[in-house]
Amino acid sequence: MRRLIVPVTLTTLVVVAVQLSIFSSLRFGGVVVMIVWLWPLAMGLAGLTALALWSALIAGVFFDTHASTPFGLTALVAVALAYGASRLGREGVGDLDSAAWWVTPLIAAGAGLVAPLIFVGASFFTLNFSLWRDSLLSAMAVNAVAFFLLARPITRLARWVGSLGGSRR
Amino acid sequence: MATDRSRRRTWTLSVAVLATLIILYLTTGVASGLRSGANLVVTPFSWAVNEIARPAGHFFAGTVNYSDVVAQNQKLRYQLGEAEQRANEGWAYARQLQQLTTELDVPFVGSLATVSAQVTTLSPTNFAATVDISKGRDNGVLVGMPVVANGGLIGSVIGTTPHGATVRLISDTASLVGVTFASGKTDIVVAGRGLNNGLSASSVPLGTSVVQGTHLTTDGLNGGLFPAGLPVATVKTVTLTPGAATYNLTLQPAADLRHLAYVDVVLWEPSP
Repeated sequence: MRRLIVPVTLTTLVVVAVQLSIFSSLRFGGVVVMIVWLWPLAMGLAGLTALALWSALIAGVFFDTHASTPFGLTALVAVALAYGASRLGREGVGDLDSAAWWVTPLIAAGAGLVAPLIFVGASFFTLNFSLWRDSLLSAMAVNAVAFFLLARPITRLARWVGSLGGSRR
Repeated sequence: MATDRSRRRTWTLSVAVLATLIILYLTTGVASGLRSGANLVVTPFSWAVNEIARPAGHFFAGTVNYSDVVAQNQKLRYQLGEAEQRANEGWAYARQLQQLTTELDVPFVGSLATVSAQVTTLSPTNFAATVDISKGRDNGVLVGMPVVANGGLIGSVIGTTPHGATVRLISDTASLVGVTFASGKTDIVVAGRGLNNGLSASSVPLGTSVVQGTHLTTDGLNGGLFPAGLPVATVKTVTLTPGAATYNLTLQPAADLRHLAYVDVVLWEPSP
């Protein structure tokens, strides 16, 4: 794992940069696709539990520094997704080689659907009660579709980054 | 056993980090310091990605002079917005003249200094309607100052750095603007409903003469967050729930919040 910390951290920072430079400007139906959530999810599905949690934390915290939403919320959602995905990943569910082609995209779509909901739910704990008034449903729908489409290539990238250390966990 | 222990350690670490984050958030001073520090780390990566993505994007757009056309378009939108703003302000001037009371004491954007700035980035998330602009503390931009563009009020400054600032748009769900209509006889509060949903107002008294197309401007009440007379919105729909004692309004922002390229920060600070 230690050998992978540096490549995973660097890749995660690139993912954050891609999010901020490209995906945050490319709005679909006014909605931003959150690849900073998809990336740790893919790491988790690739079976890299600790690294998925680490990348979730890094991606979330660095993204949060650029957003005016409560600090730490994106990280919290990313960690939750990474944990859930890694539980599945450790059981081999969503494995790109052994599972049916649609399993990984479907899991990702489910995550894309609930992630904005978790975000808004968690915002109540930061005493912010207004976020739900925004486009919650569109955010859920657009992220679900985008995660479905991007799940396989991103999980493949996660597996490749994981293989840089020589073994999978 | 060892796996259990390492898993427990990972979890303890994660919980501790998250708890720290929450504490940092609650103590905003530390959080803003952390934001600035983390910004410095991500900036080189963003720059590199931008350098790669921008030419590719232009290539896919398929036009040789795409950037020039976009820049020109933004500038024209800005000029059009300024013209619209002047037209809207004319209406507010007429209303003020009718009042013939204490208008000499009411600050108004026409007599206030402004700082022009370029919009550098839009909010990167779905849950905040903000924009970053290219002028900051070094140019006199301070937290709380109103920002106008494209024909009306677009928001207020919520954060500054020496060379930049963050503006919360009036459509943000956390935004509240005190407005007035009907020749200043009625004051209500306009709330943001998110970048894609415009504005709304509730608890509008039944006796008021509010119809579709009514102009709303900032009320400039003593101690308010905005100077008087800035165009905010026009009434789109008026609804009355059966049995309710007040109207609900959906509003169209006076400024086009979706196409912001240049803005003017009004150098006006809310009175304490």
